[in-house]
Amino acid sequence: MKVWALVLVAAFVIIGISAVDKNKFKTCSQSGFCKRLRPFKPEKSQYSLNLDSILVHGNVLSAEVVTIDAADEKRTVLWKYAFKLSALADGTFRVELDEADPLYPRYRTQLALDGEPKADGLKLISKDDGKVILVNTQGHKVIITSEPLKLEFLDQNGEVAVVLNENSQLLVEPLRARREKVEDEDGDGANQLDDEEGTWSETFQSHHDSKPRGNEAVSLDVVFPDADHVYGIPEHTDGLALKTTTSGDPYRLYNLDVFEYILDSRMAIYGSVPVMYAHGPKRTVGVFWHNSAETWIDVVNYGEGNVVSSLVNLVTGGQKKRVDARFLSESGIVDMFVLMGSTPGDAFRQYTALTGTTPLPPKFSLGYHQCRWNYMDEADVRSVDENFDVHDIPMDSIWLDIEYTNKKMYFTWDVVKFPHPAEMVANLTAKGRKMVVIVDPHIKREPGYFLHEDATELGYYVKDRDGKDYEGWCWPGSSSYPDFFNPVVSRYYSDRYRFENFPGTSKDVHLWNDMNEPSVFNGPEVTMPKDCRHYKPPQDGLEGLAAYWEHRHVHNEYGLWNLRATNTGLLDRADGVYRPFLLTRAVFAGTQRYSAVWTGDNTAEWSFLAASVPMCLSLAIAGNSFCGSDVGGFFKYPEAELMTRWYQAAAFQPFFRAHSHIETKRREPWLYPAATTALIRDANRKRYALLDFWYTLFYEHTVDGLPVMRPLFQHYPDEPATYPIDDQYLLGDALLVKPVTTAGASSVEVYLPGDGPWYDVDTYVPHKGPRITQPVTISKIPVYQRGGTIVPRRERVRRSSALMADDPFTLVVALDANNSARGSLYIDDGETYEYKNNKYIYAKIEFGPDEMTYTLASEGAQYPTGAWLERVVVAGIRAAPRSARLQQDGRQTALQMTLHKGNDVLVLRKPAASMARPWTITFAY
Amino acid sequence: MVCKTWIDRFSSYFVIFCSVIIFAQSDVPRPRGVSLSKASLYLPTKDFTCFDGTATIPFSYVNDDYCDCFDGSDEPGTSACINGVFHCTNAGHRPQNLPSSRVNDGVCDCCDGTDEYANPTACTNICEELGKEARAEAQRVAELHKAGSQLRIDLIEKGNKKRNEMAEQLTQLEKDKSEAEKIKAEKELLKNDLEMKENEVLKVYREAEELEKQKKLDQEKETNLKESTEHFNRFDSNNDGELSIDEIKVVNVFDRNKDGQVDDDEVKMFLGGDEKVDKDAFLSTTWPILKPLLMMEQGMFKPEDAKTDTTETEAEENHEELDADFEGNEEDNSDLDLQEEHEEDETVSEQSKSYNDETQKIVDQASEARRQYTDAERTVREIESNIRNIKQNLEKDYGLEQEFASLDGDCFEYEDKEYVYKLCMFQKVTQKSKNGGMEVGLGNWGEWAGPENNKYSVMKYTNGIACWNGPSRTTTVNVNCDLETKITSVTEPFRCEYKMELSTPAACDDSSTSQEHTSHDEL
Repeated sequence: MKVWALVLVAAFVIIGISAVDKNKFKTCSQSGFCKRLRPFKPEKSQYSLNLDSILVHGNVLSAEVVTIDAADEKRTVLWKYAFKLSALADGTFRVELDEADPLYPRYRTQLALDGEPKADGLKLISKDDGKVILVNTQGHKVIITSEPLKLEFLDQNGEVAVVLNENSQLLVEPLRARREKVEDEDGDGANQLDDEEGTWSETFQSHHDSKPRGNEAVSLDVVFPDADHVYGIPEHTDGLALKTTTSGDPYRLYNLDVFEYILDSRMAIYGSVPVMYAHGPKRTVGVFWHNSAETWIDVVNYGEGNVVSSLVNLVTGGQKKRVDARFLSESGIVDMFVLMGSTPGDAFRQYTALTGTTPLPPKFSLGYHQCRWNYMDEADVRSVDENFDVHDIPMDSIWLDIEYTNKKMYFTWDVVKFPHPAEMVANLTAKGRKMVVIVDPHIKREPGYFLHEDATELGYYVKDRDGKDYEGWCWPGSSSYPDFFNPVVSRYYSDRYRFENFPGTSKDVHLWNDMNEPSVFNGPEVTMPKDCRHYKPPQDGLEGLAAYWEHRHVHNEYGLWNLRATNTGLLDRADGVYRPFLLTRAVFAGTQRYSAVWTGDNTAEWSFLAASVPMCLSLAIAGNSFCGSDVGGFFKYPEAELMTRWYQAAAFQPFFRAHSHIETKRREPWLYPAATTALIRDANRKRYALLDFWYTLFYEHTVDGLPVMRPLFQHYPDEPATYPIDDQYLLGDALLVKPVTTAGASSVEVYLPGDGPWYDVDTYVPHKGPRITQPVTISKIPVYQRGGTIVPRRERVRRSSALMADDPFTLVVALDANNSARGSLYIDDGETYEYKNNKYIYAKIEFGPDEMTYTLASEGAQYPTGAWLERVVVAGIRAAPRSARLQQDGRQTALQMTLHKGNDVLVLRKPAASMARPWTITFAY
Repeated sequence: MVCKTWIDRFSSYFVIFCSVIIFAQSDVPRPRGVSLSKASLYLPTKDFTCFDGTATIPFSYVNDDYCDCFDGSDEPGTSACINGVFHCTNAGHRPQNLPSSRVNDGVCDCCDGTDEYANPTACTNICEELGKEARAEAQRVAELHKAGSQLRIDLIEKGNKKRNEMAEQLTQLEKDKSEAEKIKAEKELLKNDLEMKENEVLKVYREAEELEKQKKLDQEKETNLKESTEHFNRFDSNNDGELSIDEIKVVNVFDRNKDGQVDDDEVKMFLGGDEKVDKDAFLSTTWPILKPLLMMEQGMFKPEDAKTDTTETEAEENHEELDADFEGNEEDNSDLDLQEEHEEDETVSEQSKSYNDETQKIVDQASEARRQYTDAERTVREIESNIRNIKQNLEKDYGLEQEFASLDGDCFEYEDKEYVYKLCMFQKVTQKSKNGGMEVGLGNWGEWAGPENNKYSVMKYTNGIACWNGPSRTTTVNVNCDLETKITSVTEPFRCEYKMELSTPAACDDSSTSQEHTSHDEL
């Protein structure tokens, strides 16, 4: 079997010599519904809302919507639909349109939302002239035009911010029963009814899709007046700001294992998050297309140079700025959330309020991860572990890819290569390190493998179109896939993670779910056939086609169900005491609640290093802040300079992991020339010095739902120059990072937004924007701290983050024009849920000319940390105080200070205050 | 790094700040983490100057858990400086210097536990135990080396003997070589002489042969023209003196790919791209392509002699084409080739032809001389090759005292779960799957690659079979002392880079063990 797997790998590599094999993946014209409906843009929408049917109850307006044959004077109703508009908390609306009486229930995506959204008030203001006007409690109005149906959402200034169905592309294809085949007179048996070709079956390459329910696509267009750009809908490789799609294919969302994916492409890859934001100087708004089926999204940005100007004038009526988008999905219902903003931060928060935030990660997971496909045996793991200490490079976890298993049977170990997993793990944890192991969702069809036997016997696998266990091909060879949609299956799967069921694991062994798009080597587009069957809760009267969901309905959600089951398992195995870490490749709306994400199998090229920034930024604004790319590149080998720059860039990205393909040359930091090893050591140390800053940002994310890694326009929404920037970004509101992503760079151009100053974190030299040229040597990572912020650092280097728990802090105060600054610091035990029992510290730190204060911001919360204040560095000080006194616990201490006049930096030596309790430092002049 | 830079910048003057200096419990009072040899640099009665001289600080700042010196020298006993060094005495075992990042991090790094002084109960002093073990191990190794070095002496003896034998062999071979060269020269003279005579007597025969050949050629041309005309007339169904596409399309033989119809490609091929051909064009363009096809179809029924005839013609035609090609580019080569071919032709004809007795005798003598010359030449070559081999072996580096010489060519095997590995000393390393399949070369003898002071501890075998999509395989053999020569482990730590552990008494060098003993300075 292993041989087969290798043959497959070989085949893939050969195919991939010139990057992705595009023929394996559908273009719009090869995807039936996209080909059929992309041109669908009637002059006038057939949909109209029956004003007499309107009912407003609580936060919901419901009404009947019908389609009317425009050509028919009698206004024959073609089809009836159920319409719902809900007002939700925090400036959010939801619009739903389903068939009033569908032949079978249509699929409603189940796991994306973090529970039922909170309701807001909705008031009917007027209903006349064919228009209904409503308002929520925040003053956002909605104007519904009944015929043709159109929805306008107004911002708090009464200006139109979002319009639905302006372009008449609203569509819900009604479900129809397939008529019996009729032998026509020629007797060739073809179905000659009014169905277009492809209605009841489609073929892509050698893959046949039986389409038993026929066509069931949904579509809706959105217009964003005044928008300069739209953003979001990850995961793609073409930059943060989305581009007009009129030439070429639309953006595609369909979770796929794309071998050697290419850059600057709108092709679908591993993740699909159908949230889009529109931003301009007037406002930021967003829409969330709540649908898990294959989706194509067209974008027309009328502000883009290449959209014909006459067309601009025609459509926008002379208005310069406007972006149109159109969402088209293969199945489901129309279910669109409208996020009213009005700032970028508001819109990002409104999205995470719906789909959830990333829970506070265990602290180790913000450190450095060392991975490779594969560390081959226990001796290999030990040697890698020891070498990090020999070279004094901090590292928090070693990862095992698929080769640790017994013949790719997950939850087992290769007993020859890994005979003593518990000892191996103990050896790591002795130095505060962890292990992360991979468990993919495909299950090897091997007689005697408990998981396969149980799943077969109990019917836990996804079924094929005929109702038999679906068999695909993946790493282990012939494989089947658990049907997580069945709660019994998810429960069973979660239990596999219990320590007693997965011997050798402990609370310090964390997880990685890869290949969960799901990847099926021999399936259509390397995934599961769309007519596979998933579990649906049994219900009286629902039989046949109504008794199960097809894979087409749930595809983008499959990975999320996998992650939820794993997450439950990881919580349960430790009785809910310890926080788990989990990494995924497939992404959907809501993934952030369970897992960190990475950008999949990238390549050791400069362009992929550069792409890691916009890719993670897109994911971050779509809720997935905990993002990173394989440091060094998965395919091919990074030479020393590229490897150095990649470490430097990734040290300032949320998820920091080196990874590589099994066929590539080994590349642990010490295998490079000593100078490179030293640069990598420096980069890692810079990461660890800022670990508490990262940890605080992730804590704040759980509270405010804002991205950790932020596009510049989030904090500078009025500076149009920031809108397209995606090669630099902010961490929180304090640090600005501009990674060097080109070979042989001697300088980089940096855009510094706002009034500044921005302090170079290495030299404390202040810079004023908007643009500077930063000279760079190979050791330089251009990072700037905004004047007005305080960043906590720990300067002592340890082998791992756990060993830093009691180390002292340095607070770096970067002064603004008023000689003041503020920051925050979060401290807890780093690994349990005790913080939920108020065992933590969340401190606000403020600096003014007269005093600096450290106050505990959360009432009742305490944590007995041994950490203390080692020094305070104040950058940009113009008038140095004569003396400084620390007050803590009623005691006063005079502090020794040093002023460096060259760059206006004041250092307070060893205040030695405990970080567990509040303190104040007062200055006298 | 950052720490360093700012210290550099701000270490100017300091106010006295009280702090307690903890002294290591040892006979000479010194700050914690300072080795005996550096104790004199820390004098409590004086201000402390950083080792790099960049700053002078009150002695109370030494080990006060705050880094003041750029070089970390003020904090030998804490983790405050990023580049500090902590010294543990480890009484009973070896002393150790640790990076200061290991101090008070909760992990016991020193066997005496002094690196974790903040939590005195965290570590127990296990130096005595470890020291005992280490001493026992050192003893064992020393004994092993002692016993091994006896065996090594035997190996040295064998090695020297082998080398001496080779040297003797070499002298003998050199002698043999000059003998053989002498014979070769004689035979060559004889051969040249006889060949000259042979050439002369054969001249007559050759001229006759030439004439015959020309005649044959003319005949063939005529036949060819006849056949061509015949066929042209047959295909030219409307007798207009030209073959048109329509005329061609109805004739089966033009259907070259036998798909049942004469398609455009085929027409194009036969008509040379024109609409039609006349008789002359048919002869020059169409006929040469068509004729072989016709022959293929009729071949079976053709009389034997006619068949050979045509084949010869064809071969000659080809030959001419080749000549034409060569003239432009590779004149030298073609000349050589042609000469050789002619020679061969002659030999063939000589054997098959009959000469009168006188001539035959001369030809036979010449043949015999040629055979003898070839034999003499081969003998020289063989001797030279032997000399080369021996020289190569003599040049091989078999260790300081030839201790590895007798192992050259010896092969040792090692089996793991999947493979059988074979090391043939100073030759090559191979791997063979237990499930069958080809033997894979993991490297050929390259060089000794140990560190400077211990060159003969590592062998490198390089340039094995290239990995799929990767580099050539190489094997590093670590050579350790033991009483028996065998492979003790094989691993592939990096892709296509194998590592072997070989134990052999040849590595039991007493002088190398003595180095280890010298490192116990502070015990």
